[in-house]
Amino acid sequence: MKGKRKGAGRLLMALVFLFLYAPILLLIVFSFNSGNSSVVWRGFSLDWYVKLFQDRLIMESVYTTLLVSILATIISTVAGTFAAIGLFGLKRRWRSPLMTVSNIPTVNADIVTGVSMCLLFAAIFQSWGVFARWFNGVQSVVELPTRLTLGFTTLLLSHIAFDIPYVILNVSPKLRQMDKNLIDAAQDLGCTWFQAFWKVILPEIKPGVVSGALIAFTMSVDDFVISYFTAGSATSTLAMTIYGMTKKRVSPEINAVSTLLFVTVLVLLILSNVLEARQEKLARRREDALKSGAEHRPAPRPRPAPPAVTRKAWFRRAVALVSAGALCVVIAALAAATNAQPVVNVCSWGEYIDEELITQFEEETGIRVNYQTAESNETLYSLLKSGGGDYDVIVPSDYMISQLIEEDMLAPLDYSKIPNFALIDDQFKNLPYDPDNLYTVPYAWGTLGIIYNASMVDEDITSWSAMFDDKYAGQVMLINNSRDALGIALMYLGYSVNTTDEQELQEAYDLLRDASDRGVYQGKVMDEVFQVMEGGNAAIATYYAGDYLTMLENNEDLRFVIPEEGSNWFVDAMCLLKGARHPEEAHAWINFMASTDACLANLDYIWYGTANREAIEAYPAYYEELYGEELDQETFDIIQTPPEVLERCEMYLVLPKETRDLYKRLWISLGV
Amino acid sequence: MSKKELIRLSDCVVKFDDEIILDHLNLYINDKEFLTLLGPSGCGKTTTLRIIGGFLTPNSGDVFFDGGRINDVPPHKRQVNTVFQKYALFPHLNVFENVAFGLRIAKVSGDEVRRRVTEMLELVNLKGFEKRPISSLSGGQQQRVAIARALVNRPKVLLLDEPLGALDMRLRKDMQSELKRIQQEMGITFVYVTHDQEEALAMSDTVVVMDGGRIQQIGTPEDIYNEPKNAFVADFIGESNILDGVMRADGVVEIFNRRFQCLDGGFAPDEPVDVVIRPEDVDIVSEDQGQLKGTVTQVTFKGVHYDTIVDFYGFKWLIQTTDYCPVDSRIGIKIDPDGIHVMKKSAYSGMFGDYSSYSEEYDEIGDAGVEPGGEDSGDEE
Repeated sequence: MKGKRKGAGRLLMALVFLFLYAPILLLIVFSFNSGNSSVVWRGFSLDWYVKLFQDRLIMESVYTTLLVSILATIISTVAGTFAAIGLFGLKRRWRSPLMTVSNIPTVNADIVTGVSMCLLFAAIFQSWGVFARWFNGVQSVVELPTRLTLGFTTLLLSHIAFDIPYVILNVSPKLRQMDKNLIDAAQDLGCTWFQAFWKVILPEIKPGVVSGALIAFTMSVDDFVISYFTAGSATSTLAMTIYGMTKKRVSPEINAVSTLLFVTVLVLLILSNVLEARQEKLARRREDALKSGAEHRPAPRPRPAPPAVTRKAWFRRAVALVSAGALCVVIAALAAATNAQPVVNVCSWGEYIDEELITQFEEETGIRVNYQTAESNETLYSLLKSGGGDYDVIVPSDYMISQLIEEDMLAPLDYSKIPNFALIDDQFKNLPYDPDNLYTVPYAWGTLGIIYNASMVDEDITSWSAMFDDKYAGQVMLINNSRDALGIALMYLGYSVNTTDEQELQEAYDLLRDASDRGVYQGKVMDEVFQVMEGGNAAIATYYAGDYLTMLENNEDLRFVIPEEGSNWFVDAMCLLKGARHPEEAHAWINFMASTDACLANLDYIWYGTANREAIEAYPAYYEELYGEELDQETFDIIQTPPEVLERCEMYLVLPKETRDLYKRLWISLGV
Repeated sequence: MSKKELIRLSDCVVKFDDEIILDHLNLYINDKEFLTLLGPSGCGKTTTLRIIGGFLTPNSGDVFFDGGRINDVPPHKRQVNTVFQKYALFPHLNVFENVAFGLRIAKVSGDEVRRRVTEMLELVNLKGFEKRPISSLSGGQQQRVAIARALVNRPKVLLLDEPLGALDMRLRKDMQSELKRIQQEMGITFVYVTHDQEEALAMSDTVVVMDGGRIQQIGTPEDIYNEPKNAFVADFIGESNILDGVMRADGVVEIFNRRFQCLDGGFAPDEPVDVVIRPEDVDIVSEDQGQLKGTVTQVTFKGVHYDTIVDFYGFKWLIQTTDYCPVDSRIGIKIDPDGIHVMKKSAYSGMFGDYSSYSEEYDEIGDAGVEPGGEDSGDEE
């Protein structure tokens, strides 16, 4: 009976551990996958680790993360320790409420901290701008910058701010444990307060300080939400980069970097535990030896020459001085490096550029590229609206572009500085979102279509009707955004995807509702579609052409079709933001990305269509040269949809407010 | 011994939030003197010590050291060192480094440090303990380290804050004589804080009895014991029977309507006074020879003597005597004139000196029970 209960207990424990560690194990395993899927195992390889170290975006953000975490840890540990001592010295009446107040940030929701920090910085920058303009107006000796933006400094400040409470929380108990008389005793023996702190308090509270610093460091490395709101456009931590990369899909590179992060933390933990255990053992052994040997102890041996102690102290001081100096130099160099060089701040989508192009651009022009990613048009929009994004070039989609133009957020481009615009095919100029083509240069384009698994579907799908067919009940994945999902229904019904007619939209809704009630849909997905389709867990889904090709690599049974009723096609175009700080560099970047070479490299990398006429023509030859085999026409047609198919397709236009609200309402009531 | 004044506290007041801790305290301390601040907890003795040490600045009043005002001199610049309650040794340093701490701060040369620390450890009988961690020492050993750590800096004054409080009885007695020896060997001033009157009497040149933030009496141990100034001092130092009396003339005091010869004088005629009679100054005689007559209510054997509680007219006396008198027996007592000490009335009058509650303090006696005829009918004599 007892044994049985014990067995059950063990089983439960094993389950708990499995629950805790299974995801991490899976992550580690798939970081060694030679394929790019997170479902299909293609054999062992270290490719993703190699790629990781060549990935400039990730390496830069690792560098930023480490720098901000280390600096924030050092500063917050010093500040937090002194704050804890200050609190400790207060009368109880004051100490308790102040302690509580200082602890609140640790339990506060990150999102609240992040947003409030962002607001604070915005307010400070605003008042600074007013002051600087006034100051520059009344004198001409010193020219103050009038516009401050979020960046490394604000990121560091907010990290320091949220780290400090953790340090206080760890140091305070050690102070309470300490005999209060020790400070008096040290001062009594001739120490100034600071000497007493250094020679007596610090050794006593060292374990608390060290664990406080470790927690602060972990918190800093780990933080996403607060960083997201305070880092601005030119800086990005690892967590932010990973999040940006998941816009398209979870790349195995992320598995690799997460594995490294996990292993690093594990090693740190083991190291600190081993150190602690060893110290304890040493102390115990020393004590035991003394206890047993105390009685027979011979006259004390002469102590080692004390001057060595002072030499050691000098050495320590020198080391401290040198490292402090080095730190200052590093910070100064970093600040100088970021200020001196011409810069362009670009915001695009994850996995949406061949990163060698960035390096190439930097080498050619000497302009540094701060390449950031957003996860959707809507996020980008809110980021811009809140003033959080200090970008020069953005790459929004068609309907978002018209909205931005409408709200006067874009600056007209100077096409004389973009000679490569001439290479853009006419069919991609003067599109509905920018009828006079004043603001945009197309970056990439694609189509929406049906992806289906030929081994699970025994016909050639050619119509949107497959999305509503009982035959495939439980086998269909609906796309998880209102515009595309209702768009599919509208197209099937033969209506325009840009209709504002309430009746038509209601019909589209009813169609989806009915299919949903009949159990056609397995679920709604965006990026999860990769796993589902690659793993053969659903037969039919709606997604974008370029992404289909990625899936095809892991599952050869998949097919892509643009239904006969037509479909949506979309363009992502480069735009210059109004008030951008680096317009010259922005034009250079846009021109570079429109060049034939860049378009070819990008086309090959992201498998979305290009608008560059030369690149379209040159791609088959380019492909053959690169891979030593002929480009499959069918594949190329998927990347670069032929004009006759494109004719059937319609572009999304920005909808009036009331229609957008209707979309929202219908989408919510659809549920699924 | 020279009688040079070293420290003076002049009209010092200390308040913590409206609570008065020290009430206009005036005190001077002579050089090379062993002075004890004695009093119950909360009397202000530790506060006084902290003012001298520099850990506390009085709200008003001045502190002088060797003639100079030192109110604003921080602790590390005073020629004073302290042995703290519970020692406050540095746990991260070994014995040698604990003792050497002050010298290292003062940047004394290495050889000198070694010489002086060794010398000090010899003085406190801790030779050979140099490299031991503090946590491996017994309480008594830690105490000695604390003393060595303070003395190694050659202070003019050593302040000791209840240094023996954490030690057991035997160790305490040993340390008392050791401290006295060290003080005499070093030839410096000790200011010693304790609530233990025996300790104070045994070690001090001068005892300062404090209560309620005020000095009640300053004097040699003999003065304090034999000539207490008020009921508080009389009660706090040793055992005392304190009675209401009236001074009828110089050398004549009336207690319970009977006149007694005494050695005190200088009071107004018929002035009400407090009379102290030490338990060991009372002789027991047969009832008919006694100046006062009473009933024994309780007897406790204490080894050297019996603690005998006797009821005189409803007032219970403690008498320490080697003669055994059984409970309920009637006895008489005689008091020699030098056994009677007369004090002026004070705020403490009537608060101490009655032994009615004696049995409760020693509840192992247990069988005290009901006293037959507690209110004796023959009390209107």
